[in-house]
Amino acid sequence: MESLLTSILGTNLLTTVIYCALPLVFVLTYALIAVLGEVKISAWMQDRLGPMRTGPWGIIQPLADVLKLLQKEDITPSASDKFLFNLAPFVTFMGSYAAFAAVPFSSQYIGASLDLGIFYVFAVGSIGVVGLMMAGWSSNNKYSMYGAMRSVAQIVSYEVPAAMALMIIVIYTGTLNLQDIIVAQGGGIWNWFVFGGPKADVVLASGRELQASWANLVFLPLFLATFVMYYVSALAETNRTPFDIPEAESELVSGYHTEYSGMKFAMFFMAEYANMFLVSVVASIAFFGGWQSPYGTTIGALVGVPWLSPVEEFLWLAFKGFFFVFVMIWLRWTLPRLRVDQLMYMCWKVLIPFSFGIALVVGFLVMIM
Amino acid sequence: MSGYFTDIKDGIWTVLVGMTITWKHMFVKKVTIQYPDVKRELPDRVRNRLYVNMDDCIGCDQCAKACPVNCITIETLKALPTDDLGSTSTGNKKRLWMPVFDIDIAKCCYCGLCVFPCPTECIEMTDVFEFSEYHRKDLVYHFGTMTPEEITVKRAEVEEYQREQDAKKAAAAAAAAAAKKAEADAAAAAKASEAANIPPDTTAPVS
Amino acid sequence: MSYTDAFFYFFAALTVGSALVVTFSRSVIYAAFALLFTFLGVAGLYVLLQADFLAVAQIMVYVGGILILLLFGVMLTTRVTNAEITTGTVQGLPATVVVGILLGTLILLVSRATWNVQESLPDVTGTTTEIGERLLTTFLLPFEIAGILLLVAIMGAAMIARSTDKTKEAA
Ligand code: SF4
Ligand code: SF4
Repeated sequence: MESLLTSILGTNLLTTVIYCALPLVFVLTYALIAVLGEVKISAWMQDRLGPMRTGPWGIIQPLADVLKLLQKEDITPSASDKFLFNLAPFVTFMGSYAAFAAVPFSSQYIGASLDLGIFYVFAVGSIGVVGLMMAGWSSNNKYSMYGAMRSVAQIVSYEVPAAMALMIIVIYTGTLNLQDIIVAQGGGIWNWFVFGGPKADVVLASGRELQASWANLVFLPLFLATFVMYYVSALAETNRTPFDIPEAESELVSGYHTEYSGMKFAMFFMAEYANMFLVSVVASIAFFGGWQSPYGTTIGALVGVPWLSPVEEFLWLAFKGFFFVFVMIWLRWTLPRLRVDQLMYMCWKVLIPFSFGIALVVGFLVMIM
Repeated sequence: MSGYFTDIKDGIWTVLVGMTITWKHMFVKKVTIQYPDVKRELPDRVRNRLYVNMDDCIGCDQCAKACPVNCITIETLKALPTDDLGSTSTGNKKRLWMPVFDIDIAKCCYCGLCVFPCPTECIEMTDVFEFSEYHRKDLVYHFGTMTPEEITVKRAEVEEYQREQDAKKAAAAAAAAAAKKAEADAAAAAKASEAANIPPDTTAPVS
Repeated sequence: MSYTDAFFYFFAALTVGSALVVTFSRSVIYAAFALLFTFLGVAGLYVLLQADFLAVAQIMVYVGGILILLLFGVMLTTRVTNAEITTGTVQGLPATVVVGILLGTLILLVSRATWNVQESLPDVTGTTTEIGERLLTTFLLPFEIAGILLLVAIMGAAMIARSTDKTKEAA
């Protein structure tokens, strides 16, 4: 991908900028689709039709929403801390977007194939958290403040089980590199980590060989549980129902972005949706083979059209990401909101002990196998 | 401790059950009615916009009296004996001109109380419910059928007639008064003449 | 000036500038938020030095952990919606003395130290594996000791924070 761009534009700043902006294009398109999905799926699950009047079946409703947001008056409350108030949306969005740099969209496109992969994704996520705090505090509004505090407390707590869950995969593969983790799951659906990981030896992108055999089936229940734990923590980290306590409309108006309007609100909104997609993509990378197709090869490779393979891989990743976003929406319209104590119980007394336990077992098994 | 594990099991299981339910509902027939395109059939006795069939209205003012929010304004003029307003479909003869018959539908509370007292059943509630306007004054419906010129002409005519009638009445009254006076005078004279030959204890009734 | 130089000056300016805000801001909140940019700047400098693991660890630990804790501390101990969380100057003289001694030592160290200067950066791709191996072989003991120290600290904090009211605990 990079070589393609370089061959077209040459090595200059423009190439770099375009290369960096590609995920943004994707994230924006994705956000439009996700917003539509949210309204439509929620409607269908409640036996309604949802928006129907903007375009056929209301499919261009999100565009209309974007236009509305663009035209809206951008209000900065007079009692707010103007500087931080204006800075917060950017910090939050930066935190979400920066994480996409390490996401391998296909075997050919990855912003930066970092050896740190997962670690990096987790670290930059915390920048966004500071943005939330900033938003909550500078709004000078008690609802924003409580929303931000709850949000941050929740994210910080659930980062532990989420990181532990991914750590289990890292213990198995012995690498933090997301590209390597995906390569380890190549060769068919049964090699994905939810189904116990690779069943035959694989050579990772970094050249290291990962030994595996059908005995890996013992990992199936462990990794399956790990996936569930990761997904639950991811839900909590993105403040989605049933963990949407920070935005509990009935108590807190809408949490930390209560005071925001217009484009700045849109930034938070984008950051939230980008985060949703990010955790979905990480879930699909770590457990569902990332850009690997379920049949282990690509049509492009079969018919001998080399440029088709990356496109296919990208579509597979996007499909998996969208699927997990869909499940998030599905859960949102299924479950009621938890109480704060239930939330913390879930994190500290269920997810964390289990993740530590599984990590120990997996570590032991990796050692003896 | 076993409670802990059963809670986890129940937690996972009930979430799955819930998800099955919502999943099924995605494919259920939707209840939404696409309103401006598809309209719901209204029940027979809906109470919405009022309609007055002026051909049948006899201007009796019953509806205006019944209205709890006074949103009906009726002004009437008595028809001249020479005017023929025709009669209603129920056979009642119309005797009043109605220069003003206004219903301020913005004030109307759709109680339907104006409908029942109407002797000719000409005021009724229709099933029309989409009648929003940009200005509130457009919500005052004028049912009166007379044009302003007709109204002025009619007013003048009626006033003229009234004056004539008044004059006639005055004349008649004067005549009557004169006659009465004459009568009284005659009676008094008679009394006086009677008093002369009748004893004073048999008093005649004085009219 | 190459891109790298430009980035270096950008990150250096970011670090120093926001560090000055941290020091001189009268609002504790502002100081805490400015710390975010200091940490980011330092992380950027680490990246330029090809210490990628360190950079990410810097963000993870300082931004994700310490800064958030700091903000929580400030916001929970003061009246939350009060914008007037400010700092004042107390104990001027002792502070000056201590800071003066520290500054003197640092300057002395910086000027005396023999710096290992290289014309260009060694071509390192990824320090993670290396760090991991060193930590679990050569530096295993310090690593474990640090781990135990942190564990003890956590347990101590939990003990202190724990409710001493036995009746409450039973409920
Ligand atoms: S429906 Fe009720 S409120 Fe409306 S005009 Fe008739 S009597 Fe008045
Ligand atoms: S009650 Fe009927 S007839 Fe009488 S004024 Fe009203 S509408 Fe006319």
